[in-house]
Amino acid sequence: MKHLRALVTLIALVATIVLPGCSEPPRGIVLWHPYRGGEEAALKKGVLRFEAERGLKVTVLAVPYEAYLAKLEAAIPRGNGPDVFVGPHNRLGEYLLHRLVAPVGDAFPDADASLYEPVTVAAITYEGERWAVPLASKCGALYYNPRLLPEAPRTLDDLAAKRDFALGPGVWPLAYESHTAYWHSALLHAYGGELFGAPKPGAAEGEAKLPPGFAMTGDAAERSLDKARELVTTRVVPDEASGDLVKTLFTTGKAASVISGPWLAGDLEDKVPYEVVPLPSIAGVGAMRPFLTVDGVFMTPEGAKSEGARALARSLGDGVSASERAEIGKQVVATRSYWSAQDDGVAAAALSPEAKRQRKLLVAFHEASADAIPMPVSPAMNPVWVPAEQAIRKVLRGDASPRDALAEAKARYDDVMRAPPREAASPAPLVVVVGLALLAAAFAVVRRVRAPGFRRELTASKPAYKYVLHAALTILVLVVLPLVAGAAMSFFAGSREDARFVGLGNYVEILTARGKPLLSHGSFYLTLLVTVAWTVVNVVLHVSIGLVLGIALARPVLRLRAIYRVLLIIPWAVPSYVTALAWKGMFHRQFGAINAILVALGAEPVSWFAKFSTAFAANVATNAWLGFPFMMVVVMGALTSISKDVLEAAEVDGATRWQAFRLVTLPLLRPTLLPAVVLGSVWTFNMFNVVFLVSGGEPDGTTDILVSEAYRWAFARNAQLGYAAAYAVIIFGLLALMSKVLGRIGAGDAKEAL
Amino acid sequence: MSEAIQAATRGAANDAKGASAEASDASLPEIPRAMRCAARGIKKAFGSTPILRGVDLEIPEGTFAVLVGPSGCGKSTLLRLVAGLEEADEGTISLADRDVTELPPRDRDVAMVFQSYALYPHLTVRDNLAFGLKLRGTAASEIDKRIEEASAMLGLAKLLDRLPKQLSGGQRQRVAMGRAIVRRPTIFLFDEPLSNLDAALRAEVRVEIRRLHDRLGATTLYVTHDQVEAMTLADSLWVLNGGLVEQKGPPLEIYERPRTKFVATFLGSPQMNLLAGRLVKENGAVYAEGGGVRSRVDDERFKSELDDGREVTIGVRPHDMFLAKGDAPKIAELKVEIVEALGSEAFAHGWLTSSGPTVIARLDAADARTVKPGSVIPLGAAPTSIHLFDAATDRALA
Repeated sequence: MKHLRALVTLIALVATIVLPGCSEPPRGIVLWHPYRGGEEAALKKGVLRFEAERGLKVTVLAVPYEAYLAKLEAAIPRGNGPDVFVGPHNRLGEYLLHRLVAPVGDAFPDADASLYEPVTVAAITYEGERWAVPLASKCGALYYNPRLLPEAPRTLDDLAAKRDFALGPGVWPLAYESHTAYWHSALLHAYGGELFGAPKPGAAEGEAKLPPGFAMTGDAAERSLDKARELVTTRVVPDEASGDLVKTLFTTGKAASVISGPWLAGDLEDKVPYEVVPLPSIAGVGAMRPFLTVDGVFMTPEGAKSEGARALARSLGDGVSASERAEIGKQVVATRSYWSAQDDGVAAAALSPEAKRQRKLLVAFHEASADAIPMPVSPAMNPVWVPAEQAIRKVLRGDASPRDALAEAKARYDDVMRAPPREAASPAPLVVVVGLALLAAAFAVVRRVRAPGFRRELTASKPAYKYVLHAALTILVLVVLPLVAGAAMSFFAGSREDARFVGLGNYVEILTARGKPLLSHGSFYLTLLVTVAWTVVNVVLHVSIGLVLGIALARPVLRLRAIYRVLLIIPWAVPSYVTALAWKGMFHRQFGAINAILVALGAEPVSWFAKFSTAFAANVATNAWLGFPFMMVVVMGALTSISKDVLEAAEVDGATRWQAFRLVTLPLLRPTLLPAVVLGSVWTFNMFNVVFLVSGGEPDGTTDILVSEAYRWAFARNAQLGYAAAYAVIIFGLLALMSKVLGRIGAGDAKEAL
Repeated sequence: MSEAIQAATRGAANDAKGASAEASDASLPEIPRAMRCAARGIKKAFGSTPILRGVDLEIPEGTFAVLVGPSGCGKSTLLRLVAGLEEADEGTISLADRDVTELPPRDRDVAMVFQSYALYPHLTVRDNLAFGLKLRGTAASEIDKRIEEASAMLGLAKLLDRLPKQLSGGQRQRVAMGRAIVRRPTIFLFDEPLSNLDAALRAEVRVEIRRLHDRLGATTLYVTHDQVEAMTLADSLWVLNGGLVEQKGPPLEIYERPRTKFVATFLGSPQMNLLAGRLVKENGAVYAEGGGVRSRVDDERFKSELDDGREVTIGVRPHDMFLAKGDAPKIAELKVEIVEALGSEAFAHGWLTSSGPTVIARLDAADARTVKPGSVIPLGAAPTSIHLFDAATDRALA
């Protein structure tokens, strides 16, 4: 009976894990898309018409954009993904890398080439093949407030003329996310520069190919940075404006114009009057050219074989579908017939004012897209963003000349893209290290087993093992196995597809700082130093603030104690990333609350993330805010276990309040505080949220701690998962060691007290 | 105490703070100089609950004073006021001729032994003993000397390097006392120090405390609710009830001449028997009659208060009653319900009248064998052992 029940449980468990993976294959053509609202409705309309015309069944599935690539990667190789899917063209490199797509073939025959806008055709063409049917494009354009600027600004100089708040107090002529590589590239392109090297999308076969890589160097790039800096220093553009801030400035009339994409229009509604025009040009240089992203219908390798799927893809690009997407989805469609109809003024007369406005907006973005540069598609593009952005920020802050900043960025890119460690000639060193570790473990086990009484203890606690079995299994599956898998990953280098075994190569690279000076920028040792300082400062602050508040709250004479207690625990109850983002906002140089207070007090505003010391302080302030409630609660709990008599005895014995605290309360709190300090240290050592969200490693990656550095290697630097895994293993080792040492101190202490 | 007198008292005390030497020319209620500890007009309330309602306390040099009373009578509060752990609402406290009313505990030079012992759990016995001395900056050699003395006195020498948790209850108790002794304070304060010990140990430590006191000659204020401790330890006993001093004096005097019905019943075990009755004059002698008792009362003691027909409460301690044999005069007849034989003596519980309260009488061990439950026995008592209390005021006739 008992065994039967166990068996049933096991089967149920296995079923929950396995079944979702082998659900029945869906019928007909499957289409995935990340659209919502009007875009989704328009797409579905086109699909319905296709179904009616062809008598084919199409299953449409909306997949949230955040998880889109991951879902595609998971589903397509297992054969339960879509046949066709809608996605942005700049992911093509990744699609190719993971073998998620095939050329569209007769869904986009050569004859159709003239149907689509040339720039969109260029975007979906890569290495001589067409990989998607273009649907629509997105690029930046200039929104301007006609109340502030009666004339549409044609050049940057038009806007620069309004600098120093000529339009009104606090009104910027122009706002855009000047510190991001994405938006800076519009300037860069104007000067003829490039963020990313060849191969360019749409490059004709046989055209000379540069090796793909960081291309933001040279005269054009430097001049573009000089210009960006000039815009900030002459107060044409606010610095470090986030997307949200750009929007807020525009809607509140504090920015006469902003550079943003079509998504901003949805947020503006009727809050502010606006017009949209292509980006301004720079006198004597050329037009600013934003990046262009094209949404296309891609075919999976399986779908490309299906005639129905190809037909569906083709039909979604046709004129009728396009006009539906334009009218309902408000998309800047790639199909030319729609636009030529607009030019002819067909049916324009019958439109409502709202629809007219809408159409005007679309036309403006369409116009802007003509000059835009399609985003490069190579997966090697990804590691470009971070160094480029660091260089831009550095220049905008005035910390470095464009030339130096760009040279540094190039060096960092090359460091990230460096050749992986040599394939381990022989696995001998690794075998020796792992073998020694196993031997030590085995030795420990044997010693334990041979200890007298071990067998007796084991049999005596048999029922206990049964009780914890399920928990142990869960931990094994959820914690131990990933840990082992992660550790195993650290012996490999390269991306997932071409991982190569390098033995201890990653560790050697980390511990030798990749051949650079040991304390050079971004080296393991420098980051470790920062991490240790970070941990010590934070834990000291947590404990001291927690102590003071815990003791204050424990005083029976305090009125409204319960209210204070709740208020002080709130920082703990709010999710840490929310707090971190709130603090990041408060530390903003121009619009943050902290600088507002400083200014109100007559001090100079501080550019918090421009210097290591202030950025570190900002991180520490945030984390102290997040961490003290835990210590406070621990202290409050520990205080209740200290007898009032003992404190009174000290008082009678002649202790002042401070002496009683130092000589009696504190030593009695120690046994409880020490484990809390160990926990707090481990948490702080690995406090990714705060570092990542508040300073984001600014300035220039110097405030990164080990765990955020590991994250960057895994997710921001060409997916060097093995390298990141080696970092993680080292972090794990350090923390295990730290816990052991602190725990030993604690154990010695607990023996003494009580 | 009237407002005016209180104010005057405080004024005098304040004067004494400034110039204690010439504070003796008083027409005001002055704190006598020989007093080691004196409290005047102490009032204290917690919230709206009055705990002490005007208490005066005087402890001469070298005296072992015991505060005794039922729970909630304010005795511990008074002790804590002397220690400085609570602040009085009204009144003054002086220690060794020094007004300490406003001073924190550390400036009062008192040592206190807590009911829970309140040893510092993280310190060894030695460090526990040294704690107060170190805080006062006593020289290391002096500290060692005093610890040696105290530990020899208390038998702690072998325990000095242990932690409190490694000690038994009795040992902890002794460490707590040692911690007080090494301090050589103006006054020792004990807050029910024996109540966490078992009965046998309690008797032992009780004697030890008295022995220590005799040896050190230290002034001591000791709080207890246990009348045995109160009786055996005190030089000067203060019975508190409802926030007021009910009676003070040497313990035996209080035992023998309780001034109120409360004191009479609080001290002595088993309790004094109380019976409602009245006075009757016959043939020039006065008799107390009622509740089944009729006894001549000693008119010498009661002076002129023995009016004929006065309503009184008659009190007789069980120990003052005996089995009236032969022609010995009996004062009552007891219908026996239970006999408690303790070996050396016995107590007969029963009733004098069918409607009266339970009465307890002491019997000799030998008589206990013959007295059976259900029997009726004649009881005698010396006229001098009869207590009389006014039925209305509960005060003793005097």
